[in-house]
Amino acid sequence: MIICRCEEVTYGQLVETAKKFSCSSRELKLRTRAGMGYCGGRTCRLAVDSIAISSTNRDVSKITLKYQPPIRPISFAKLGDENK
Amino acid sequence: MTKRIIHHPVLDSIEETDTVSFTFDNHKYQALRNDSIAAALLVNGVRTLRHHEESGTPRGIYCNIGHCFECRVTVDGKQGMRACLTPVQEGMAVTSGGKLLTSVRDWRSQNE
Repeated sequence: MIICRCEEVTYGQLVETAKKFSCSSRELKLRTRAGMGYCGGRTCRLAVDSIAISSTNRDVSKITLKYQPPIRPISFAKLGDENK
Repeated sequence: MTKRIIHHPVLDSIEETDTVSFTFDNHKYQALRNDSIAAALLVNGVRTLRHHEESGTPRGIYCNIGHCFECRVTVDGKQGMRACLTPVQEGMAVTSGGKLLTSVRDWRSQNE
């Protein structure tokens, strides 16, 4: 079952990695690339967070993946002067 | 266009007269005016909108509300347009995305 569609990361890969390295969600993201794709983790962020929390005995519940601008992928043209 | 819900209990009935034509990967299709590209292609039986850049697996509509960017296509040369949110226009040229080169990964798999 694919969790992160942008980078094609499966549930199995995530659980395995989280167990093996006892990951926080940020570490899990960096190891598997889940949540680092085109959509900016908007689709799978909560799933990656909860897999990390449930797969380790460490208290990683306070280290969730962060939210940061821009809230949508946006072209450089839009940030600049182009009106189209 | 038989796959549409023509008479909906809540929404107004659709009249299938005001059509526009557009192309998807050089095939010509008909759609209703103000259809989204994704809906227009679904009605025409096209479910694969693009292929994954790295693995080449097919992609289509996923969230259909503009969150996930799974349906991104190139519209009149403009990349990264969401098919689920972009209304289809007369003469629009839509192209899908395909697998890209993975030269570095290929090189590493043979040389490491």
